[in-house]
Amino acid sequence: MEPILELIDIKTYFSVRKGLFKTLTVKAVDGISMTISRGEVVAVVGESGSGKTTLGRTAIKLIEPTSGKIVFKGSDITNIKGDIKWIRKEAQIIFQDPFSSLNPYMTIKQILEEPLIIHGVEDVSEREEIILRALNNVRLSPPEDFILKFPHMLSGGQRQRVCIARALVLNPSFIVADEPVSMIDASSRAEILLLFRELQEKYSIGMMYITHDIATAKYFSHNISVMYLGKIVEYGPTKEVLKNPFHPYTATLINAIPDPDPENRFRERSIVPGEPPSPINPPTGCRFHPRCPQIIDGKCSLSEPISREVDLKHFVACHLY
Amino acid sequence: MSFIRESFSEFWASNISKIGILFLAILVAVSIYTVTTLPLDFGVRYWYNPVYWVDYPKSAQPEWINIFLSEKLMSHVELSISKASGIKPYNNRFIKYYNVSYNHECNQFPKFITLRISDLLFYRRDSPPIVRFYVTRPDGRTIELYTLAIETISSNATPPFRYFSMEPKRILLSGDIYLARSLVSFLYREFNISLGTSGVLEVGSEKIIFGSIGGDNTFTPLIGRYVFSAVLICSDVNDGIGMFNVVLGGYVYGLMGTDVLGRDLFQGLLFGFPIALIIGVGVSLLTTFIGAGLGIVSGYIGGRVDDFIQRFADTINNIPLLPLLILLSFIFGGRLWLIIFVLVFFNWPSLTIIVRSMVLSAKASQFIEAAVAIGASRLRIMVKHIFPQVAPFVFAQMIFFTPYAILAESALSFLGLGDVTMPTWGQILEYGFKNGAVFLGYWWWILPPGLFIVYSAVTFVFIALGMEPVVNPRLRRWK
Amino acid sequence: MLLEVSNLRLYFKTLRGDVKAVDGVSFSLDKGKTLGIVGESGCGKSSTANAIVRNLPRNVSRYEGRICLEDMDLIPLSEDEFRSKIRWRRISMVFQGAMNSLNPVLKVGFQVAEPLIIHKGLSRGEALKIVEELFRLVGLSSEIVNRYPHELSGGMKQRAIIAMALTLNPDILILDEPTSALDVSIQAQIMNLLKNLKRKLGISMIFITHDIALASDICDEFGVMYAGELVELGSAEKILPSPKHPYTQKLLSSIPRLHSDKTPEFIPGAPPDLVAPPSGCRFHPRCPYVMDKCSRENPPNTLVNGGFVKCWLYK
Repeated sequence: MEPILELIDIKTYFSVRKGLFKTLTVKAVDGISMTISRGEVVAVVGESGSGKTTLGRTAIKLIEPTSGKIVFKGSDITNIKGDIKWIRKEAQIIFQDPFSSLNPYMTIKQILEEPLIIHGVEDVSEREEIILRALNNVRLSPPEDFILKFPHMLSGGQRQRVCIARALVLNPSFIVADEPVSMIDASSRAEILLLFRELQEKYSIGMMYITHDIATAKYFSHNISVMYLGKIVEYGPTKEVLKNPFHPYTATLINAIPDPDPENRFRERSIVPGEPPSPINPPTGCRFHPRCPQIIDGKCSLSEPISREVDLKHFVACHLY
Repeated sequence: MSFIRESFSEFWASNISKIGILFLAILVAVSIYTVTTLPLDFGVRYWYNPVYWVDYPKSAQPEWINIFLSEKLMSHVELSISKASGIKPYNNRFIKYYNVSYNHECNQFPKFITLRISDLLFYRRDSPPIVRFYVTRPDGRTIELYTLAIETISSNATPPFRYFSMEPKRILLSGDIYLARSLVSFLYREFNISLGTSGVLEVGSEKIIFGSIGGDNTFTPLIGRYVFSAVLICSDVNDGIGMFNVVLGGYVYGLMGTDVLGRDLFQGLLFGFPIALIIGVGVSLLTTFIGAGLGIVSGYIGGRVDDFIQRFADTINNIPLLPLLILLSFIFGGRLWLIIFVLVFFNWPSLTIIVRSMVLSAKASQFIEAAVAIGASRLRIMVKHIFPQVAPFVFAQMIFFTPYAILAESALSFLGLGDVTMPTWGQILEYGFKNGAVFLGYWWWILPPGLFIVYSAVTFVFIALGMEPVVNPRLRRWK
Repeated sequence: MLLEVSNLRLYFKTLRGDVKAVDGVSFSLDKGKTLGIVGESGCGKSSTANAIVRNLPRNVSRYEGRICLEDMDLIPLSEDEFRSKIRWRRISMVFQGAMNSLNPVLKVGFQVAEPLIIHKGLSRGEALKIVEELFRLVGLSSEIVNRYPHELSGGMKQRAIIAMALTLNPDILILDEPTSALDVSIQAQIMNLLKNLKRKLGISMIFITHDIALASDICDEFGVMYAGELVELGSAEKILPSPKHPYTQKLLSSIPRLHSDKTPEFIPGAPPDLVAPPSGCRFHPRCPYVMDKCSRENPPNTLVNGGFVKCWLYK
């Protein structure tokens, strides 16, 4: 498969002003490499503060990386400034909150038309046709019922479908989906995910699926990368990683999510103590070591583990391996 | 767009906004009427030109006050005639009569009497005409009022000769010594009363002309028909007077009365309408346009642009307005554009600061990021996505700002910093205060401009109140 | 029987009409047990909890039924009586998003101690001592008492909020989505804490959530709400493996499962508008087993497996 997006050692730091003179550096993304091919879905799983959202924004240049290299469709886009329009056409993003990601003052038609106008689809009837097809694609039918509505007239699920339609009208080859279902009711989550998956396969789109919910990643992604404090701690085929997690952090993430079972209440869940430290001052060595149940004394806190292929295409950054 | 329609129906639903719109309609209609009827240089040409107002009664109350009075006050009268009422030959010459009549019905004497002729025309260089003025009273007696002799022409100018065409010849009879002498002989001839000229002047010429004499030399107004005539004795049949006017100063004048200079307050106050509208709307439009525009740019672009705009706004916000305005009006003189400029210049910063903070929160909305992600330009995002978020607020601010601007202009005028070339309500008020209108009880001079200021301010406050539910969704009726 | 709720109704007045947020809900809670109330957003589960602690907005148009706490009906109590005798003393509640409602300028310890000072008239020092003990119970070190909210992480704030609900030793603790804003690893910590409290204090709980898997961690019984009604009630052992109501079945099968290979399903359509809910069974427009009768008549509660189900399939 041809790679559509390559991230090579991406670092994205932010400066935070503290007080009058002090500035602190938040290392949101701290040296991440990743390749996503056409038609491939890579899930990026992590908790809040892991830098997964920043990574997604950086990948499509909504945020400029501090260092590293972004290769999109074979060309290095790391430093281009002016001619960014073709990237905006080829790469799309879908946001977590379907309530705030649509302009409340615009009709569905205006919302879906905007990318077409920006990217020079001048013929009105052609635009109309594309919009109706997009609405049909996301099963908002009959589309005529929806085009004149305002976002507040739609349910959360319907809004998120409009967001998907907006991302698809320009026929992108790559989409960043940032927690697209976390604010949608559990009963319609699966519906949106299945629709998403179907469209992604139909148009063979490469996708970065960002989520905190490792369970949805299971159904949606080919590969999974687990992020902790700006670093990828484990990467591999989704099934493989879920069945056989190598990194202790991945294991705790999986254990933290129960299946509904009446027996659950008679057992304590295995947990990692504490909470993720701040990315302003990440721990030395392995960033997970202060919480790790399997810490190796004198090693984990001193040297940073490098990622190695432990199993076939299954990488882990941990001193245990 | 259904958003606008919804907003409007929400706005229209409250009675207060209906009243506001009605008031506004009146304000606009009066302004349009004023601009189409009064000359645009009304201020310089008339209002601030005391000569124009000499024949108006000073500090006269409005005419309608008579409705409430049992003893009616004499109205101001101006009589005029432009064509000779009669002509007859006289010793090789001609006599032309210009008669105007007046029915005196009220039990008062005129305050003053003025005669005026304009456009005196004659053809004989060697024999210019003579104009004699008479009044014939209801009792049939005639008094000679004045004689106007024109000098012979010695220059080489060619006939016809024209006098008093640029400015009419004005003869103020009250206190005129020639008339006084005429009245002395009139009194002696008709009533056998001997009163010296100083005695006549003491009584007042108007009283003698318009009075019948009582027992102990007191004069009571003589009711009935008076005929004033200008008699032109001329050598050429074509000689003539363009216009003959008689002004009888009254105690009440017009709809709104007059001020101490005799200026017709109705005209002055009328002219205040379009000016208030221009100041109110102009200042608020400019202020909101600049304030909102810079606020959006500052909030959305951020960085150095933001820092610059905000520091600039802070700086202006902290400059004391009044001393600066006094300085500026000292340098440039009080001018309307200066007042508008100053009000705009000192008021956009507060709006910019508020709009910026609103933009900052609107900017955090994901749909802004979504617009960036589909490749929308900064300008497009600011116009299409950011502006609608702040538009209701900005619009309401604009309306709220209008009465502020009107009041501010009035206040500045009141402090004597107003535009000296056009009358505004504030200036009329100021002049009234300066001349002690309050202590003298000249209510018609103080109350109307005050009420008009309040009226125009209230108009926009009502509209703004009606706008409030549209801007603040928590007050909305629908949903 | 500690708490018995029967035929509870709570309507809100809006311009479009009455929102029937809670419409004839009945259930009971035994001492030391935990009841989970689950359902989609807008099904009325939070309103049920708020109705029990009488935390009502101003636009309530109907508030009736019976809420019996050990044979005392709470509905007829006056506001003052309810506040001084019931709320926080007998029934306390952890509100949704409460961890973000801590006052940023007051120390956490003082805020947690406030109910003790108000209700029990303790001095500040005495109250803070009790708070320190409570903090140890919920897994916070006692020095946290002197910290300000912004110095605490989300998990710590949630623990403090739980401590606050426990200050007056209530019989019943109501938890409304206590972990929804937290990361999964912290979520697991809080669930372990709640399990501990349940075991140590023998406290009864009502656990309100949209996440059945999470609820299965602690709940002995489940009530499933749909459109303002309780459609199924039963023990965890019965409901989780073999749900009866079609809605419960669908809801359970929509959960993505990490530890088994089932593909999640979904319920087509959206929950109904609570101003004008569908006639008959409120679930009938989305139900795969819909019959003629379903759209005409509201099904009665049918006793099944020691609980009940509100569905014509079981009548």
